[in-house]
Amino acid sequence: MTKFTDHLWSDLAREHGATLMNADRPEPGRAPLLRRPRVLAASTLGLAGAGTALALTLGASSTPAFAVTTSGDGSVLVTISQTTALPQANAKLTAMGIHEQVTIDMASGVAAVSGPVTCTPAPGVSGPPVKVLVGTNGTQVINSGNTGAGTWHLAACHLTGDSGSGNTGNTGAG
Amino acid sequence: MSTEARALTMPERPVAVRARSRGRPPRSPLEEFEQVYLRNVDVLMGYFARRCHDPNTVADLTSETFVRAMDGFARFDPRRGSDRAWLFGIAAHVFARHCEQSAGGRDAAARLGGHRTLGMDEIEELAERIDAEREGAALMRRCARLPAVERAAIELVDLDGLSPKEAAQVLGVSGVAFRKRLSRARSRLRKEHESND
Repeated sequence: MTKFTDHLWSDLAREHGATLMNADRPEPGRAPLLRRPRVLAASTLGLAGAGTALALTLGASSTPAFAVTTSGDGSVLVTISQTTALPQANAKLTAMGIHEQVTIDMASGVAAVSGPVTCTPAPGVSGPPVKVLVGTNGTQVINSGNTGAGTWHLAACHLTGDSGSGNTGNTGAG
Repeated sequence: MSTEARALTMPERPVAVRARSRGRPPRSPLEEFEQVYLRNVDVLMGYFARRCHDPNTVADLTSETFVRAMDGFARFDPRRGSDRAWLFGIAAHVFARHCEQSAGGRDAAARLGGHRTLGMDEIEELAERIDAEREGAALMRRCARLPAVERAAIELVDLDGLSPKEAAQVLGVSGVAFRKRLSRARSRLRKEHESND
């Protein structure tokens, strides 16, 4: 590798590698048949009362679920069933015209306080307040045998300016 | 952030990851992505080097492509297509966005902010790479009169080295349609070349 490509990989691994640590990669084998995504009622995931459901997407088993909802006071609630769904939720925020991106810090153990965590906006960020809820009560359990197995909770949440990086599909991503 | 949390979220030193991941199947998504990176970074740099004359822009666009790829890697399914085809799809969007923003007068470096400043040796490497792509860039200029879809077919297969199947995935067309398009493009180029002689 050249110095540039070597340095680029170091930067990628250091600054963005964390997003891959808990990623659920598709199992090897035959590709699943394409299916239309299913849209489920918000109450199915225990989100009743959270506000107007703008997106709740459940795809194949390897596709993590997320929801982005707005409340009457203008605040936004991002609910993710697992941390790997965060990029999709961020893309949804962008699609909704909210040009801030959420980053989260996970810590081991059960959440001391059940419920969403309010994100701390970076200097200069002036969008609506954003809260993040991991799982149904702030705690995520990763089964043994998977990367990062154990019980984790959302320790902190940050709101930064949109870097412009969107979500990608297999073809024509952008 | 607790020590335990850092252990979960912070990647290990990249050099160590690279050393371990060679010669055996990857054990983590990060190692898997590293292999995708190693297989494709050079050809993607070439893709941007044919389009841009500024080493910093080539660096920015290459970086942006891999940042987006890393964000979306959890959803990339190799059973649906090759990683190269997937990355070229991202690169095409990154470059299109770059063109839109450039047309709007915004500076690429500012738009893709967050990327580090290149060292002189890296700039020299990239400048050499741009120079090495001169022939490819010249071919693309010769293709300028072809329809955009045929130009893309020539570039993906003849310059970037994608298989027709991979190139068809990038362009979102069937393999049959792509092969017809490629054949037509080559035929037009040949005729143009002959008429110029």
